[in-house]
Amino acid sequence: MIRVRCCLLVALLSLVMPAMADIAIVVNTGSGVSHLTRSDAVNIFMGRYRKLPSGNPALPLDVAPFKARFYRALVNKNLAEINSYWARLVFSGENSPPQQVATVDEMRQIVTSNPGAVGYLDSREVSPDLHVVLILSE
Amino acid sequence: MQRWRQIGLGLALMLASLAAQAFHPSDDDRLTLSGFGTLGLVHSDNSEAEFLRDISQPRGAGEGWSARVDTLLGGQLGWRVDPRWDLVVQGISRYHDTGDFRPELSLAFVRYRPDPALQLRAGRLGWDVFQLSDSRYVGYAYPWVRPPVDQFGILQLTYIDGADVTFKQPLGSDLVRLKLYAGRSDSRIYVRDDLIADFDADAVYGGHLDYEHGPWRLRTSYTEVHSDVDYSGPLIDEIDSLQLPGLDGERQIESVLGFSRLRLFSLGALYDSGPLQVQAMVNRTRTERQRGRIDSALLSAGYRLGQVTPYVAVSRIMTSSTHPDDTDIDQRTWTLGTRFDVASDIALKAQFDRIDTRRPGFLWHTDSDWEGGWSSVFSLGLDFIF
Repeated sequence: MIRVRCCLLVALLSLVMPAMADIAIVVNTGSGVSHLTRSDAVNIFMGRYRKLPSGNPALPLDVAPFKARFYRALVNKNLAEINSYWARLVFSGENSPPQQVATVDEMRQIVTSNPGAVGYLDSREVSPDLHVVLILSE
Repeated sequence: MQRWRQIGLGLALMLASLAAQAFHPSDDDRLTLSGFGTLGLVHSDNSEAEFLRDISQPRGAGEGWSARVDTLLGGQLGWRVDPRWDLVVQGISRYHDTGDFRPELSLAFVRYRPDPALQLRAGRLGWDVFQLSDSRYVGYAYPWVRPPVDQFGILQLTYIDGADVTFKQPLGSDLVRLKLYAGRSDSRIYVRDDLIADFDADAVYGGHLDYEHGPWRLRTSYTEVHSDVDYSGPLIDEIDSLQLPGLDGERQIESVLGFSRLRLFSLGALYDSGPLQVQAMVNRTRTERQRGRIDSALLSAGYRLGQVTPYVAVSRIMTSSTHPDDTDIDQRTWTLGTRFDVASDIALKAQFDRIDTRRPGFLWHTDSDWEGGWSSVFSLGLDFIF
């Protein structure tokens, strides 16, 4: 009986909740990077250590339409907290945040032309010209 | 004339359009203008002494309301020459040692990053002596209205003119960071109503080792400051007017305070995971005075609930020496507050400090013989970045 109720609940939730895909972190197909660990991704996007496993310097890109979802999934922080984190590093002259891009197309353009670029997008929007190195589930 | 007006107008429009952009001084823009600021109001119930944010402030917040101690504005210009070289210039206007809000050049350096594991900077740099000390005026970056006075209020310097080098080395998923720096600096601190100490620090050097493991960030650091300290004020004049053979006011005060050589040790731990942030630090400064020490400790925790982050903190400072005197400090502070993130670039804060001052030393501004007691300080802050 309990199981039936659970199943009903899950079915109901899946009807009510919009289908949420995951966030895919992507690089250039010729970057020589097969995958990144979560801590690699944190190091690159939070500016702790911006080097790819291939040895190339990493150029992280913040993609405006997915930025809030990305940081929620990566470090469980909202955009105010991310801004607060960067305010400390920017105004002590220690570091700079990722390059900000306005659209997925802009991100795609930079990633496909730069072997060090690292971007992200909704996993349903990944195209063959991008190589997925990590999926962040939401 | 017409041309100058056009250039002026053009510049103004350019600055306005830069300022109108949201906060993202990132790698892509060659020239970036950004900034930070705080509008702060402090209410103190202490009628004997004025509450200070730090010892560079000649006056503080007296009984009632005051906007003097925390209000500030900073602007920063960054110019990226190429991915390896960039320049940063920053100015801050706040109430400080000049007794007004005269802007001060707080950063002006050239940076070279040949590799993600190495960074070199030369010029005017923030004094990175404790965790967070080089961003202590950036209110938007921390939960409190101001960094705890018991630790950050007694810092003698704000910047150094010199150079630093940072090395990073990953160890598995952990990260080790070593920073070394050296330079010179000067500053003025107000010890008492009748005594000013001007630091001409010709050698400031030190470094720290950070270890980052998941949400943990641990730091151990050591710094030395060698200064020629120039003491002035009515107290010195008074001692000198005695005209006793062998009695020199400045030398007398230096033997009491021992600021000419400072050695600062610090251990810090930061835990930052999702909505929870905890910070702990212990610091010990040794002065030239007879076995003189300045000890302090801080524990602070905040937890975000949606846009609201309530926080608590407890801190303590104590100075000691084999020759105690009335410049000694012994103080505990209990802090309760909340930060409200109205937008992703504006935060409102309300904070209540209950301060148990057993010996005020030079942490409060007073011209009476106040020997300490309990004070309640209520603060409101509006922090923004652009």
